[in-house]
Formats: sequence, structure tokens, C-alpha cells
Amino acid sequence: MPWAKAEDFVELKERFPELEIVESGNSTSLHIKKESLIELLKELKNRGFKLFIDHSVVDLKDILEKEKDFRNAVKENLIAFPEDRLSRFQAFYILYNVDEKKRVMVKTRTDGTLPTVEKLWFAGKWAERECYDMFGIEYEGHENLVRAFMWDTYPYFPLRKDFPLEGFPEQDLPSLNEVLWGDRLEGTMNYERKHAIVPTLEDLEITEKKRLKKKAQIVLNWGPLHPGTHGTMWFLFDLEGERIVQTDVILGQLHRGVEKLAENEMYNQFLVYTDRMDYLSALCSNQAWVVAIERILGIEEDVPEKAKYIRTMMSELQRINSHLLWLGTYALDLGALTVFLYAFKEREKIMDILEGITGARLTISYPRVGGVRMDLPEGALEVIRAFIKRFPKELSDWERILTRNRIWLRRNKDVGVITPEDAYFYGVTGPVVRGSGIPYDMRKLEPYDAYAEVDFDIPVGDVGDCYDRYLVRIEEMRQSVRIVEQCLSKLEKIPRSAPFFAEVPKEKKLKLTIDGIGLKVPTGEIYSSGENPRGELGFYVFSMGGVKPYRVKVRPPSYYNLSIYPHLMKDRVIADAVTILASIDPVVGETDR
Amino acid sequence: MIKRVTAKPLSWLERALFIDFIKGLSVTIRHAFSRTITTHYPYEKLTPPKRFRGFFAHKVVDGNEPQPAYDEWVERFKIEVIPGKSRCVVCMLCKRACPVPQLFEIEGKKLENGRRVVSVFNMNLMLCTFCGFCVDACPVDCLYQTDIHETASYTRKDSILDLELLEKIGKDWQMRRENEPDRIWIDDSQRDKLWHENKVKLPEAEIRGRHEW
Amino acid sequence: MESVVAGVVIAVIKILVILGIVLGVGAYLTWVERKVAAHIQRRPGPMVVGWHGLLQPIADGLKLITKEDLFPRYGNKFLYNLAIVLALVPATLVFAVVPFGPEFELFGYRIKPILTDVNVALLLVFGLGSLAVYAIAIAGWASNSKYPLIGSMRKAGIIISYEVAITFAVMGPLILAGTLSTYEIVQRQIEQNLWYIWVQPIAFVVFLFSLLAETGRVPFDIQEAEAELVTGFTVEYGGMKFGLFPLVEWYVEVLSLSAIAVVLFFGGWSPINIPFMGFVDPLFFLGPFSPYVWFLLKVTVLFLFILWLHWTLPRYRIDQITEIAWKVMLPLALINIVLTAIIAPVVWR
Repeated sequence: MPWAKAEDFVELKERFPELEIVESGNSTSLHIKKESLIELLKELKNRGFKLFIDHSVVDLKDILEKEKDFRNAVKENLIAFPEDRLSRFQAFYILYNVDEKKRVMVKTRTDGTLPTVEKLWFAGKWAERECYDMFGIEYEGHENLVRAFMWDTYPYFPLRKDFPLEGFPEQDLPSLNEVLWGDRLEGTMNYERKHAIVPTLEDLEITEKKRLKKKAQIVLNWGPLHPGTHGTMWFLFDLEGERIVQTDVILGQLHRGVEKLAENEMYNQFLVYTDRMDYLSALCSNQAWVVAIERILGIEEDVPEKAKYIRTMMSELQRINSHLLWLGTYALDLGALTVFLYAFKEREKIMDILEGITGARLTISYPRVGGVRMDLPEGALEVIRAFIKRFPKELSDWERILTRNRIWLRRNKDVGVITPEDAYFYGVTGPVVRGSGIPYDMRKLEPYDAYAEVDFDIPVGDVGDCYDRYLVRIEEMRQSVRIVEQCLSKLEKIPRSAPFFAEVPKEKKLKLTIDGIGLKVPTGEIYSSGENPRGELGFYVFSMGGVKPYRVKVRPPSYYNLSIYPHLMKDRVIADAVTILASIDPVVGETDR
Repeated sequence: MIKRVTAKPLSWLERALFIDFIKGLSVTIRHAFSRTITTHYPYEKLTPPKRFRGFFAHKVVDGNEPQPAYDEWVERFKIEVIPGKSRCVVCMLCKRACPVPQLFEIEGKKLENGRRVVSVFNMNLMLCTFCGFCVDACPVDCLYQTDIHETASYTRKDSILDLELLEKIGKDWQMRRENEPDRIWIDDSQRDKLWHENKVKLPEAEIRGRHEW
Repeated sequence: MESVVAGVVIAVIKILVILGIVLGVGAYLTWVERKVAAHIQRRPGPMVVGWHGLLQPIADGLKLITKEDLFPRYGNKFLYNLAIVLALVPATLVFAVVPFGPEFELFGYRIKPILTDVNVALLLVFGLGSLAVYAIAIAGWASNSKYPLIGSMRKAGIIISYEVAITFAVMGPLILAGTLSTYEIVQRQIEQNLWYIWVQPIAFVVFLFSLLAETGRVPFDIQEAEAELVTGFTVEYGGMKFGLFPLVEWYVEVLSLSAIAVVLFFGGWSPINIPFMGFVDPLFFLGPFSPYVWFLLKVTVLFLFILWLHWTLPRYRIDQITEIAWKVMLPLALINIVLTAIIAPVVWR
């Protein structure tokens, strides 16, 4: 477990007398008063905790109101400074020490204001925007505190506990079938004419104006619907000729409130929403969530070997799948239209495999807490073996078209260079940070499932430009093939009758079933992460016992990776916008959640 | 453990003779004279695998119920078993397992002999995520997902499956596919279009037919 | 008098034949391109309308013509429509100076299968080629939108840069032939027993790159780079007005410049050449039609090669394109002129 130990921070006690160090089975956290928070974070950054992982807020309203819950939470040391019964929010920051390879969590309490960390980490600025949007926390000194996902005239703070799941139905939005064709829909199952409010054009205009103060000739609206943005992102480019002077991003076109939904779903049911976050690598997200819950339950050891290998193999196939889509769209953005279809040809084969094993092509929901949904069907191993045998050949085919092509080199070399310091400052992870030469890979740092038992390399780049990120992803596909091969040979040896779902010992008193009804998680918290194709997908789960989590914070890799985009776009031309964006490879379902 | 990937600059020879272009062109021309891999939808259709998570259906009482679970649940809820009708025992576990429970509308009614039978079973597929949790939860192997995937309709009403339709789809599926082996796919010849270059050889399997509508 | 009437009739027939070929073939080249692209990408391409989708261009044309004619608010309607005319006319006019075959005699009249054998034909070609920039600049301006404006500025930048390179590249063959007339250039190549490609490979590469740049083919298709600019300067056009721009740019212009390339470097209608030795004609059995077939065959091969490039390569960035034009292509063309001056006496011999 890569968590820092309490003794690492003992000498900090002298500087910060009120500092509390809490070490629990799942994490290590430092509790600090709001006033000295920035000092502590600065000190931690100097001590090597350079990579910003996540920051968010937990609304403690329900806990503070219920005495029993409160005592439980205090017993488990979940709440910083429990004597403070008035401050409603608890903020947490997760940092990573790059040299010593360990994490730490910093917690503080507030009733609505926090100092900003934008000087220390730019990624923090985006996280703060999100907290402002969702909880209404005011950040003192924040340069441009605008909403992250909702439009700027939106009146509510959705993740607060007093906001209902359905929102407030206050706008009449009848179905077009009813308006145009006169279908009688009143009384149809689940049909409602009243909806939560939607933004008007004026709202969007205010939102746009708040983001960007025009400096140059024209502001180009790049998106929300644009082929180069790979989804519904809305970029604003302030242009001087073709040169971009400043950039901002308006997110939220695909915001569905996944974190709010998580608070109202059972642990297994939330899998369905992890599918729809990073929809290109649903299985990896599923796996990260399932592993997080297994860790907080303490049943990681009980998961049968077969399930672990199946999950590893499938999520590596999914990684190839996701990287193939990246390769295809990347090449498409740079004009090589044919590679797109070649990549899709192989992707289709993976889709066939996934469909045959799990029943779905995109939103897979195949892993379960404690194992997988079904055993592998007949013929699955043969088909995967046939695919793996041929795939490296196809990969080198595409490399012959692209890798050494002079146009490809010129479009990618020295474009969008991310230095390691920048990478830490902006909190980027995944292939983006590995392109800058930092071997940050959760599969090695905190191995889950069968990753500890298989053999693979972490590809890292040299300069950190788009070309390095391209090479890293290509090499990652090769490594994934290696992992799948090892899993295959292992699975071929495991008999078909071996269990694929955990049998939990009686003394743990857990109701563990495939459908996941009534799975209770003890009071506690965990930050656990998996290596998605886009970076570190983390889940911060805050549980107060019961069948539903109290708060789930998703650490979306794409969101933080995207935060570096305005920085990279400075003084570049529009043609580089697609190159850099595609090399970062964000997925809107995940940035917006 | 760490593998460095670095870029090599192009040599002058490669630049002058356009070797990089020629390499790329050789790949595309080779593909141009290979077999196409597409399926000509909607004139040709693939048969989804047996595990496919498509439209829902109710299996009907036909003597193949999972025993002893089925009898236990029937006794527990005092269900009237009618051959040819849905196996549903109105246990509501599907609704309980569903991430969007409001899409289910399930009611049972009491018959004159005091036993119960399912009377309303509506599923609004507009809200459905096709995750399959309800299928996992069903204790009597009644609710399950079929291979029907062309689900477009003109009105909202058409997206609601009622008990009659569920049973109809169920009978149809049981006739066509229930006895199939649990295989990664069943239509080897159709899949061969895409997979021929991988030279997949699977053990033989019997195929019954596909759904047409 | 009679000869004047005959001249007019012959000219009208030539115009009709050329227009028919250009526009009809242009439309059908969309089908060819779609098929080539599809097979490179392992797809069958259009298969539904007609046998192997042969009627697809007609279906597409019908669809485009019957579409609603949209016009952007605050745009300039006159310039908006003028841009289409300005794009179509110069591109088609280039065919006036393309020689399709040798002179022949029909009903006592000597007919050259070329519309006008002017002695400044190549100047005309490049003059008309430069006109294309107006069409695109006007189209971008009249649309009153940001994406078309950026696209048209890009294209204008490219054409201005490559117009210089292509003119200097053509200098080589011109020196060897000693004439600007396209018909004469082919005649000289036949007389000298030499396709100029054998002594002018550098000029050909420069010409080919400039051809791709001027017609907006990959790797220079940045004016409509769909990932960045959606479709560049045609964003605000709809229906057949939208359809005409790619038709002109991608097919008619490519065809005309390929024909010019064949005339300049591949000896027009002459059969396969062995340098300084003579010509070998495997198609001799076609008799008098053999030259036409050769000409069309060469243009087709060149066109297919351009398609093949199009569906293989990525695209450059605008600054890189102009950089290549001025820093690589232009010096290469100048070097080529010097080299040509050295070898010219050998060819003239």
C-alpha cells in the first residue's frame, strides 16, 4: 500500500502544533486547521509530495445531525476536529510523493470558505472550481472562481446533502411527440412534463463571457459540437490570426451528477455509472471501483484467482480497445483517415470478444464485488489467443504508416511539451505523465488483481511532446498484449469448474452475491485507484455503514489531464489544438461525469 | 521494468528517396487488395452471442425450471403455476437490484383459489441501462435478456414492455436459442468476415436461427 | 466562309465533348474515389444504388440538388454565389489547352483534339490556377463566419506559395521543349524520343507536391481539415453549392493538373518511352485510338496515385506547408533549372 507512514510526519508537529496524524488500515491522513492549511501543503510539496492527485469536499450535514452516525464516524477517525460541530464541510487533499512513492491525505474542516491552492498546483484550481460548483465553497484568492460544470447562473449546489437526487422540477419540458404530433403521453409510465431547469441562451452567453476576457482579434468557439473535440467540450480560443493567445474550456455538457447518483445507489449498482463515465474503457473503470470496494471490505484476498485473472485480462483487452480508438481518432485528426478504419477493424474484434463474454460491447458492467458476473464461455480463450497472435503484426503495420512518416514527425515533435515539473503542477497522470518520463503507473505502484503476478514494462517517453505520448501509448498496447498472453496461459491451466466468485468466510458476516443486493460496507473511508487507459482513476469512498456510500468522489484522470490544455495551447496555432487535445485523449463522459 | 521509448530522426537517404512514404503506401496497397471485412447491415446481420444483453423476456413455465429453487419460491409466495405462462413469482428482487428501480412496475393479483399470480409486469426500457442486475437477481430464472437489439420505436409507449410481450419474446427465444451451448459466438460463418485473417478455429456447434423482426 | 462555319461547328463540338467529359467524369470520379478509399480501408464502399453503387453519384447529385438552399445571415449573397462560378469556370477552362491526341483528318478537315492550341497555353493554365484563390477567398469572406474565413486564408496562403514553385518547376520541361504550347511540348517529346520525366525527376516531384497543394489534397488539405475547421470554407454552403466545391477542387482541378503533368512529363499521348531510343506501343491493335487511350490511361494512373497518397498520408500544418514551399520546393526548382540548362544541349541534339 503506497501510503505514507505516521512517523514520516512527526517532525511536522513542531511547526504545526494542532496537526493530527491519523493512520488507519486504508489511508494516512493529516488533520489541519484551515488557517495553516496552505503552509502545510507548501511544506509537503517541498518534502516531495509534488503530484497533486485530488481535492474535494464531503458535506457532513447528515452526520452532524445524527448523533449515532457522528459517534461512529468519530470512532473511526473519519472526521477532522470532531469537537467542531458547526463547520459543515470537510475538505480533503490527496498528494503523492514522487521520489518515495507514497500518498498522503490532508483533511480540514470549513463552513464555506477555504484558501486556494492555485499557486501550488494548477490542478487544484480546477478541483476548486468543481467544489465551488457542487458545494458552494468560496475559495479566497482564487483567480477566476467560475462554475466547473453547471452554467454560471445556476442557483443550486447539487452535491450538498439538502439537494434532492431528482433536483427541483420547475420547468415544463413536454416531449416533442406530444407537442408536435399530439401523442397522448399523460399518464405514460415514468413520463413527466416537469423537469429540473435547463440553461437558456442568455445563461450560456453569461457563462462564456465569464470565462474569457477578449484580448486578441477573434474568439473562436471550438465546440461544444465539433469533430475535433471528441465529444461535447466547448473550447474558447482567443485568436490572433491563427495563433492562439489564450484558451479556456467550458465543461459540463455531459454532466450527469454521477457522484450524486452514487450516494443513492448500492455499491454494486454504481458499476453501471462507472461504465458511463469513461465509456471507452468501461471495464477498467468497473475494475477500479470493484477493487476499491473489495479493499474497504477487506476481501481482496478472498477473490478467487480465476476471477482476478479474468478481470486483468479483460481490462487489458479494454485498454487496447481504448488506445485503438485513441490511435484512430488521433490519426484522423491529423489527416490520416485510413488508420482510423484499420484501428476500428481490430477494435471490432475486441468488441466481439467482449460481447461474447460479457453480453455488451460498450457499457460492460462485468466485474462484481467479489469476482466476475459469469465464467468465460466456450471458445473465449481460443478467440482471444487468435486475436493476440495477429494483433502485434497489425500494430507494426500502422506504425509503418505513421511512426517514421516525415509529416507525422513534424506534426508531433516538439508540440505540446510537458516537462515533469509541469506534469506535477497540473496533476496529469496516465500516458500523459509517462510521456514526460515519469513511470507513474498504478498497476505497478499499487498492484491490484493479478497485476502483481504478471510481467510487463512501463513505457516512458523522453521529452514529453505529443510524439512521445504517441510512442508510449503504442508501446503500452504491446505491453497489454504481453499481459493478456500471460493471463491466457494461466487461465488455460485453471479448470473450468474453478470458482469465479468469492466465497466469503462466515465470520466476516458479509452478504456477498452477484447481484449485490444488500451488500453492507462498514464505516470507513478509502482512496483506491486503478490505472485507466487515460490515467489514474481514483475512487474516494466515504462510508457510514449501510448499503449506500455516504460520499463518493471520483478522481477523473481526463479532468486533470485536460487542465494542462490551456497552458499547452498558448502561442500555438489551431492546427495544433487537435494534435495536443488528441494526445491528451480526454473522454467527456469522465471529465464531466 | 521501465522501458524508454525514444524517437529516431529520419536519415537523409530516407528523406530524399521518400522511403517513409513508400513504406506507408505499401501497407495501404496491400490492404486495398485484401478481402473486405464489413457486414452489409441491414442486408446481412450478425447473430448476437447467447449472453447478449438485449431486450428483456420472461421464460415461461415449461418444466425446465431450476429446481428446487422454483418450487421453494412458489410455495413461499403461494404462486399459481400455469404452464405456458410466465414463471414470475412476484418477489420484486429485480426491482430491488435495479439501479433505476422506477422502470419496473410489478403487481400480483389474488386468484379465487387464494393463490397469487403476476398480473402486471411493465418495464420501461427508456430508463433501462441493460446492465443485467435484474437477471442476476431473479431467483427462478424467469427474467432474462435476449438477443433482440433493434429497439428503435416511434413512440414512448412502444418502449414499455408488458407481461404479454415479455412472454411472447420469451417463448420465441426459448424455441430458438435456449439449448444453444454457452459459446462466445454461434455464427462462425458470419463472424468469419471479420475474423478470417486471425484464422480462428472453434469447436463445432449447432445453430438454430435468428430473430427476424 | 465555309471554313469559318466548319471551324465554329468543330469548336462547339469540342467544347461539348470536353465539358461532357469533364463534368460527367468529374461526378463519376467521386464514385472512383469512394471505391478506392473504401478498399484501402477494407470496406466495399457504395454498394446499394445500382451495381456496386454505380448510380451513387446520380443519387448524390439528386439529393444535393433537392436540398434546401441555406444562406448565412449577414453574409454577402452576391459574393457567396459568385464564389461558386469563380471556382467552377477557371478549373474547367484549363481543359481548353489540354491536348488529348495527335492531329487527325475527318471529312477533309484537319482537326487537333485540343480546343485552342494557343502558344501561351501554360501561362494560361497558371493564370487560371491563380484565379482559384479568388473563389476560395471570396467564399470564405462572403460566408460571414469564422471557420470559413480561417480556411480560406489558409488556402490563399498555400496557393500563393505553391504558384511560384509550380511555375519554376515547369521551367525545366519548357527549356527542353522550347515552347509554351502544350500541343507542341508533346510533339517535341515524341521528336526527341524522350519523356521529360527521365531527365526532370526533381521538377516532377515539385510539380506533384504543388499539384497536391493547389488542389487541396492530402497532405495539404488543411483548408478543409475536418478535425479543426469542420470543412473549412464550405461550412456555410449547402446543397449542390456545397457539392460543387469538392467536385471542382478534388476532381476537376486534379484532373486538369494531372493532364498537364502528363503533357509535361509523360509525353502526352505517346506510348511507353525508352529514353533516347524510341517508343514501344503494346496497344498498337487499337489503331488510331491508341494515343487517346494512352493519354487517358496515364491521367488515370496519376489520378489513382494521388488518391492512394490521399488515403495514406497525414496532413501538414499550415506554417509547415508554406515553409516547405519557400525553403524546399522553390530552391529545388531553381536547382533543377540550372541542371536543365546543363543537360539541355544533349536533349536538343
